[in-house]
Order: sequence, then structure tokens, then C-alpha cells
Amino acid sequence: MSDSELTIGTGHGALLEASPYGLQSKKLAMWLFIASDAVTFAAILVVYGFLRIGSPDWPRPFEWPSIANGLVMTFVLLSSSLTMLVAVRAAKAGQKSKAIQWLVFTMLLGIIFAALHLREWFHMFGEGWGLHKNPMGGPLDFGAAFFSITGLHLLHVISGVVALLVITLGYKSNWLDDNHVETTSLYWHFVDIVWMFVFPLMYLMNAR
Amino acid sequence: MATDQGPSMTTYVGIWVGLLIIVGIEVAVTYQHPATKDLLAVLLILAFIEAAIGLLFFMHMRYERKILFWTVVPITLFVLFMMDHFWADAFRMFNLRLTQ
Repeated sequence: MSDSELTIGTGHGALLEASPYGLQSKKLAMWLFIASDAVTFAAILVVYGFLRIGSPDWPRPFEWPSIANGLVMTFVLLSSSLTMLVAVRAAKAGQKSKAIQWLVFTMLLGIIFAALHLREWFHMFGEGWGLHKNPMGGPLDFGAAFFSITGLHLLHVISGVVALLVITLGYKSNWLDDNHVETTSLYWHFVDIVWMFVFPLMYLMNAR
Repeated sequence: MATDQGPSMTTYVGIWVGLLIIVGIEVAVTYQHPATKDLLAVLLILAFIEAAIGLLFFMHMRYERKILFWTVVPITLFVLFMMDHFWADAFRMFNLRLTQ
């Protein structure tokens, strides 16, 4: 889409001037949302970092099976970004059925990630961990930090899967177009990038 | 429009493999059992490299107009820096330390 096409829309704003960003408004809005969400995640991770460094008796609950599970989760989420890229390229090329197929793959990988995450959580609950429970002794803040940060990320993944489902159905029924697919992909990649911080800081920093 | 540009699928797969390798390096460094502060520093540096690669290539920021980068990234980093180091709430974090 050219800049001139951006100005020939409906509504009063569209008649004023082209976007200096060369983007559709929904995509710019997604970038601004991502910026604000990045600050939210960064703030809680920094607070966790202060707690972690300032506590010499901070628990290290994760043995190799948990780290291996985290590695599989990382592989799954990174792979979902790749399938999302294929879906966007197919949508941009007008290959609708291919795009839908890869969107479904992306959703499935998101669901697998969430399932692995919940399995890890329930394993920890079984060992006596909780928001304010620490079976290893020492600071109680580990559970609060771990479950709130990974929980917020998990909420983003589940929200992303729901968003992808809505976009896929809308795209399939011609209610939405390839630009909606591309805009949603930004969110999905952002969730992936956040995990690149959550995994090392929450799992590797607490590995035995 | 700039968003129609982008690397080939081969490049994307190469980036994906590269990100997986960085994750592998993170795990390898972790099991060398360095001091906590050193481990945190190394993991953060590697995570920022991964984030930059994801932002530039997966999210296509490299292929958008430069003004998008200069609008979103510096302001986000500025807010984060001020929030975590200078604004009033930042000082509460020192009180969160369990040992001084």
C-alpha cells in the first residue's frame, strides 16, 4: 500500500495528510501498546533483579528437568514466531489458505507452550511452592516473583492465542485482511521477545 | 510500503537458529556457575542481543521508516531508565532488598 492510498480512506482524519510513519494507524497503535507493555515487563523484571541480587539466601529450585522443560518451551515459542512469519508472508502474497494453515500452527505452538508452562507450575505447587510459600526456606518472595512474572507472560500468550483465533476466523471470512494478520504478528513476536528475558532471569538465574 | 520488504525465509530460519544458539550459550554459561552478579550481567547482555534481533528482523523494524525506531525505542528506554533509577518509586526498590 502506498502513502497516497493511506490518505484515501474514509473518515475526516484520512483526508488530512499521510502518516509520517508510513504505517496504518492500527499498526502504529500496536507499536505504542508494545512500548508500554515492554516498560511494564521491564519494571517488574528490574524489581525482581534487585530482590534476586540483594538476597544471598535466594532459593534455587530448578534442577535440570525444569531447565530442560524451559528449553523446550523456548524452542516452541521461538518456532511459533517462525510459523507466524510464514503466515504473514503468505497473507501478504494473497495465499489465504496457506496463511490460515500457518496461523493454526502458530496457535497450536502457543497452546503447547501454555500447557508446558502450566505443567511446570503444577509440578511446583506439588512441591509446596506458592505465591507466599517457600518449601526450601529463605525468602518468601521467590514464589511471588516467579508466579507473577511468568503468570503475566502466560496471560500474554493465552491472550495472543485468542487474538490469533479471532484474526484467523476474521481473515478466513474476509472480515479482516492481511494487515490485521501482520499487526497481530507484532504482538506475537513481542511475547516471544519478552520470554527471551523471562527464561534466563527466572529459570537460569535460579538453577541449581 | 516499507512493510512489504523483508528478508527471505532462509534468512528468517538462519535468525531462528541463531537465537536458539544464543539460548544454548545462556544455559552453558549458567552451568559454569559464575558469581550471581556476573551471571546476571551475561544473561542480560545475551537477552538484549536476542531482543534486538527479534525487534529488527522478526518485527520488521529494520525495514520500517527510521522515524518509527526513533519514536518508539529511545522513549521506551528513557521511561524505563527514569522509572527504575530516578523517579520516586525507584528508591523503594532499595527497601525491597532483604539484606543490606
